[in-house]
Amino acid sequence: MSNRLLSMSALAVAACLTTFGAAQAATNIEMFFPVPVDGQLARDMGTLVKKFNDTHPDIVVTPVFTGSYDDTLIKTNAATKAGKPPAAVIMSANFLTDLVIEGQIQPFDDLIKASGKTDDEFMGQFFKALHPNAVINGNVYGVPFQNSTPLLYYNKEQFKEAGLDPEHPPKTWQELIVAAQKLTKRDGERVTRWGITMPSSYDYCGWLLEALTMSNGGRWFNEDYGGEVYYNAPSTLGAVTFWSDLANKFKVHPTGEQKAPGVSTAFLAGQTAMMVLSTGSLTHVRKNAKFPFGVAFVPSNVRNAVPIGGASLVQPKGLDAEKRKAGWTLITWLTAPEQSGWWSRATGYFAPNKGAYALPDMKEFLAKNPEAKIALEQLEYAKPWFATYKTLAVRKAIEDQMQAVLSGKVEPKQAVETAQKNADEIMRPYVERTALKLPAMN
Amino acid sequence: MSQISIARPAPIAFPSRFKPLAVNLNLRAYFLLAPSLVFLVAFTYWPVLQVLWQALHQQDSGHTVFVGLANFTAIFADSAFRNALVNNLIYAVATVVPSLILALGFAITLQQSSWVNGLLRSLIFAPVLVPLIAVSSLFLFIFLPGIGLLDHYLAMLGLAGANWVGDPDIALYSIVGLTIWKNAGYYMLFFLAGLQAIPAEAGEIAMIEGASHWQRLRYVTLPYLHNSLAFVLVIALLNVVTQVDHIFVLTKGGPSESTNLLLFYVYQQAVEHYDIGKASAATVVSLVFLLGLSAVSLRRMEQSAEAQT
Repeated sequence: MSNRLLSMSALAVAACLTTFGAAQAATNIEMFFPVPVDGQLARDMGTLVKKFNDTHPDIVVTPVFTGSYDDTLIKTNAATKAGKPPAAVIMSANFLTDLVIEGQIQPFDDLIKASGKTDDEFMGQFFKALHPNAVINGNVYGVPFQNSTPLLYYNKEQFKEAGLDPEHPPKTWQELIVAAQKLTKRDGERVTRWGITMPSSYDYCGWLLEALTMSNGGRWFNEDYGGEVYYNAPSTLGAVTFWSDLANKFKVHPTGEQKAPGVSTAFLAGQTAMMVLSTGSLTHVRKNAKFPFGVAFVPSNVRNAVPIGGASLVQPKGLDAEKRKAGWTLITWLTAPEQSGWWSRATGYFAPNKGAYALPDMKEFLAKNPEAKIALEQLEYAKPWFATYKTLAVRKAIEDQMQAVLSGKVEPKQAVETAQKNADEIMRPYVERTALKLPAMN
Repeated sequence: MSQISIARPAPIAFPSRFKPLAVNLNLRAYFLLAPSLVFLVAFTYWPVLQVLWQALHQQDSGHTVFVGLANFTAIFADSAFRNALVNNLIYAVATVVPSLILALGFAITLQQSSWVNGLLRSLIFAPVLVPLIAVSSLFLFIFLPGIGLLDHYLAMLGLAGANWVGDPDIALYSIVGLTIWKNAGYYMLFFLAGLQAIPAEAGEIAMIEGASHWQRLRYVTLPYLHNSLAFVLVIALLNVVTQVDHIFVLTKGGPSESTNLLLFYVYQQAVEHYDIGKASAATVVSLVFLLGLSAVSLRRMEQSAEAQT
């Protein structure tokens, strides 16, 4: 009964929208957007779009809140299949390679050319680390909108209490273990405070393991070709073993899979002295921490390096020329310095447009919030986010193994071998029709 | 008093009397049913046909190719699918059996109407009123290792907690626990209704004959509840296959695939693997399983109903 009611009201709304659209002379377009935190950020997006509509009388944008990044992907695919693709979608940046391989999104090159810029000039306004997840096979498929990197958060009060210098957080893996050992508190068998906790639920697990691997000198995946990952490389094995050691050998990190909301809750409750979480959580931690906290680069073993995360604006295939152009106007407006900076301050993500940091509002904000500045400085060492053919499945291949390692069920060496085997199996159809499709001569 | 005559199942008892009117009535009935039928066809039957069609096809770089049963052989060769199937079976047995026993226990204990029982019934029914998605969001924090409500109270008792949904060995059973808590109250409702239908004399006679509590339950109550039991069993098994909100919120099938269930596997194939063919094939398999299950249970219910009359 309620299902039927729902579908009826959906039909009614659709009918209203159609008639409303026909009556307007301006170009009506839709933008699909996910937000990491419901409520406030969805309202902030409404504010932003209203500003766009007020200043662009010939375009009417309807923002459509589409839930999580995954849901946004599903809804975009469904709308495109139904012949009603949205003119702009905020899409998780690591889905782009996949979407290009599956032929679901179209490049912006012609629109960039029409605006009198080259691709390089256009992309030049964004931080260099963001390019590989947006420019695929030499074409611009995405315009960076909100981005993040992993960051080490630590409780300054607990640092002091443990005899550590709160102004000098650990920089290397060695220092991290030493600090974590001093910070871990035990009550008999029970641990009352962990030295460090890193989330290992799906998505976060792969992202942080990529960060550790990169800090260990590794590449993790072939950023130029979507059919290769380096799961059984020494740099990855080292990263898996290090994470395993924190939990199973040094016992300064809880065992088993840890969920991201649980990690930030434990940190805010003082039950873990350090955590690694996205820069996107900065605003949340700043608002809720009842103690002085600091942030630092993700500790390194070989070099400083972290992957980016976040989302870019894309356009699905199948849009008519007029809507495509209107969508492009919206996309360039949203990613311009002023809007980019405003959204960054609202969310905690960093602004992908370098120009945003030259504006007075942003300078003032950074002066007041030095943690945001550290997140920005780490960008210099940032590398592309993991993106391959069937990204999510390939990422899950190693996440399942890492979770088993953290539960003490599998040894790191065996884990990376299994992960590599499973990932290769998933990518095989793509590899066979690309890198292994060789010229045959008779 | 025309309402009363409508409520009575008279037409079934005397079909011949209504025959001349049947065609007329049918047309009117179909006319009245039309709005629902349109939606039923558009949103149930048509998608089912689409799924069947998609299960026999494969997307190959933009083209749709007929592949016969290849998608079905592919899912049965997929260890993730077999794992989801096994998990689903464990989940089915581990949730349905305790839920039904608990529900029956609650219903028998609380069958007398009194304000205390009314209050207790409402309390036990309360979890049913909260949507599963909200329950799961709450349990995310109840299950948190160390600081969650569960570990908090366990610590007060001097017991060590666990990483409830983060340990691959116990994650599925934590999900089972949540499901039992959520559903037992709902099933209790059906048993309460079933208990009302048992003639009081049956129990009284048994008591006079000197039957023990257990004997009365075994030989009087349970036989009368046969229909309710069969019905609740079908509902419970349907829930086992169709509810995955908690998997989405709490585990996403993890850690290490330990809580992956059939419906979540379907989602993964469709969304994470872009493999509509395999997703549809897995949907068909669970659909066939569900239809078979309902058919068998409903058949048995009918048979026993006939046997009783």
